[in-house]
Amino acid sequence: MKRFHYRRWVVAVAVVLALAFTVPVQAADTYKLGLSLAITGPTSDAGNPYSKGVEDYIRLANDTKILGDAKVECPIRDDMYETAVTKRNFEDFVDQEIVLFLSYATGANQALAQDYNEVQIPVIPASMDKSLMAASKYIFLPIASYSHQYVGVAEYVAANHKGGDTPKVAAFIHPSAFGRAPLDDFKNAVAAGLKLDLVEVVEHGKDLDNSALLQRLASKGVQYVLCQTVQSPVATLLNDAQRLGMTAKTFGEKGKITFMGAHYTGGNDLIALAGTAAEGFHWTTSYRLTSEKGPWTDWQLDLAKKYGRDEKTANSHNYANGAMAAQVAVEAIRRTLEAGQEVSRESLYATLNQMSGDKAFASLAAVGPVSYSATDRMGVDAVQLYVVKDGAFRSVGEPFKPKYLK
Amino acid sequence: MSANRWFATGNFYTTYREEQRIFVTHLDRLFFSLLLIGLFAWPLLVPTSNRNMLVINNILIAVVAVYGLNLVTGFAGLISIGHAAFVGIGAYTLAGTAGAIGESHVLITHAWPLMILASGCMGAAFGAFVGLPAMRLKHLYLAIATLSFQMIFSWTINFMTFFNQGQMIPVGRVFWINGPVGRNEHYLFWYYVILVTAVACGLGVRNLLRTRYGRCLVAVRDNDRAADAMGMHPGLTKVYAFALAGFFAGIAGALHTYMFRGAGFESFTLHHSIIYLAMAIVGGLGTLPGSLLGPVAIQILELQMEHLSEWAGALLPANMNLATAMRPLGFGLVIVLFLMFEPRGIANWWRICRTYLKLWPFRY
Repeated sequence: MKRFHYRRWVVAVAVVLALAFTVPVQAADTYKLGLSLAITGPTSDAGNPYSKGVEDYIRLANDTKILGDAKVECPIRDDMYETAVTKRNFEDFVDQEIVLFLSYATGANQALAQDYNEVQIPVIPASMDKSLMAASKYIFLPIASYSHQYVGVAEYVAANHKGGDTPKVAAFIHPSAFGRAPLDDFKNAVAAGLKLDLVEVVEHGKDLDNSALLQRLASKGVQYVLCQTVQSPVATLLNDAQRLGMTAKTFGEKGKITFMGAHYTGGNDLIALAGTAAEGFHWTTSYRLTSEKGPWTDWQLDLAKKYGRDEKTANSHNYANGAMAAQVAVEAIRRTLEAGQEVSRESLYATLNQMSGDKAFASLAAVGPVSYSATDRMGVDAVQLYVVKDGAFRSVGEPFKPKYLK
Repeated sequence: MSANRWFATGNFYTTYREEQRIFVTHLDRLFFSLLLIGLFAWPLLVPTSNRNMLVINNILIAVVAVYGLNLVTGFAGLISIGHAAFVGIGAYTLAGTAGAIGESHVLITHAWPLMILASGCMGAAFGAFVGLPAMRLKHLYLAIATLSFQMIFSWTINFMTFFNQGQMIPVGRVFWINGPVGRNEHYLFWYYVILVTAVACGLGVRNLLRTRYGRCLVAVRDNDRAADAMGMHPGLTKVYAFALAGFFAGIAGALHTYMFRGAGFESFTLHHSIIYLAMAIVGGLGTLPGSLLGPVAIQILELQMEHLSEWAGALLPANMNLATAMRPLGFGLVIVLFLMFEPRGIANWWRICRTYLKLWPFRY
């Protein structure tokens, strides 16, 4: 009897082992992305909601089986806005064989551009600096560059200024390449025929009072201040302008100053910081905002609610920014699978480059389709102008493409 | 001198020369030799990921930088809170040259040891210049002077187009005997270069401290008037302390630039100066082992806090944002506790261990 049991066990184990080594396990594929960004430290006010946007969209993609049985994973690492930490995170992700990298800051992307070229990995950054596209052919900007947004604001001024005079503008910029690069494109646009008179360029410091600056600009007859920086210095400027009674109530109001800005100058955080002083502030971005009704608004708010985000995060355009970056990445994987190809860095790079024309990706998050090609790696070409009215950003006109910047 | 050169159980020095020996016993020498062999051999025996090699290289670069900071702050007693700017001087000497003559110029890619040395010399020149106020200033006033240098450095790098306004300036791949060092060998190659540099610099500092110049630093720190009365030149001593600190920082900056394949301003901010200071303090000010142990401890602490906050982030409710606060809070708390309960740094633990072993089995 004992002998019989022993033999039966041996046969059973042998069968199991044989099956284990001969029948391939039908496990679903998992594709790995990686995100490194500033969740703490400088610019974390933008990085924090951005990371949540990515995280939530990835969870949604898995929960709703956008990729069928396949899964997508995206570990998120905090780099504290430090290039050295970003590099460490990137190397860690490459060791884990990620197929696409979601990155963040301009500086870190420039530092890693050579690595992107050598590893040949497609990258979607949170930074919209135009120079990144020249630094590496593997970098795909999700929306219009800072330069496009800034020149877009300038074109709006030139086209809508009332009166026969040439509008006098001042540039209020961040004291870094982030602030200066779009200004160079703006100057090129003026040289190419954009009718604006650039009176002064102000590289702001950390001033808590801008009275003297505003008085000087007023004495020079400045009618428009175009900002390319982050929210807090703009909020300080707007508060001071309101206190001095200099803020234009309507666009181009005579004797007053109209304040305008590009991507990182605006958003709900600006309204929270500047309060009523933000009224009348004009701002460009390529994203849709939750202050405007539409299918994207409902979708974004539902997504945030589904994964337990607070109201501030749910309404942040940086949350939309992160969600859209993840959306583009997942869409590239989906299309690659659909084409019957193996998902790899190489195939994703090819898929992204083919995302143009009728194959452009219509993400509801942005005001235009995301389209890429071998020669154009800026996703959404159009920008939308918004203005603060009654404590919320409202769209002004239709999305447009800057004419002076190709 | 002890009759047994392997196990000395007490102090048997009969001449100053004996006291100044680098290795007191043969056991010390053997231990150091084994450590060196281990440090050189392990990457060949244990396969390590690029990420881990990057972390280790970063620690070794910080060791070289902290040698300098420990000389000026620990041994000479001069507070410097602009050390990252000196590291930046070295980094931008190399990166600026690469920007001017081309990142793949033979000087950058082939004569890289020369470039590292030149960066160190540039750091020394700036160190000596910044050290000039030390002839007239002391304590907090001197700290403010070094802080000013950090500010001037930040402004210069962020403003000048020559330095790409703080944005990354790339540096090409270097060449070794068998051709260019590719991506696969990059971190291993620089591990050996940085390790050799760190060992050479460490021996340099150890030897310096055996000379009259090294003893001058300590004498000026303890009482500069007494040092003056004994024929030393306190002003000059302070200036060369800053020059030496600048030299080591410059070397570290160049190594950083080569390893990261470029220089960008984010790596040389006031925050980094504070981190270097924390490394020197936690390691042990005024001790050579402190310069080694401090960077290791701080970098490991930083990594552990990173893992902890990531782990907590997965457990805590998403809308509380507690995990993001854990890292800076935990890091700061550990530093404060360390300063409260072990102000002499980790090097003191090392000293206690050595003393115990030295006297064992005859404790008294």
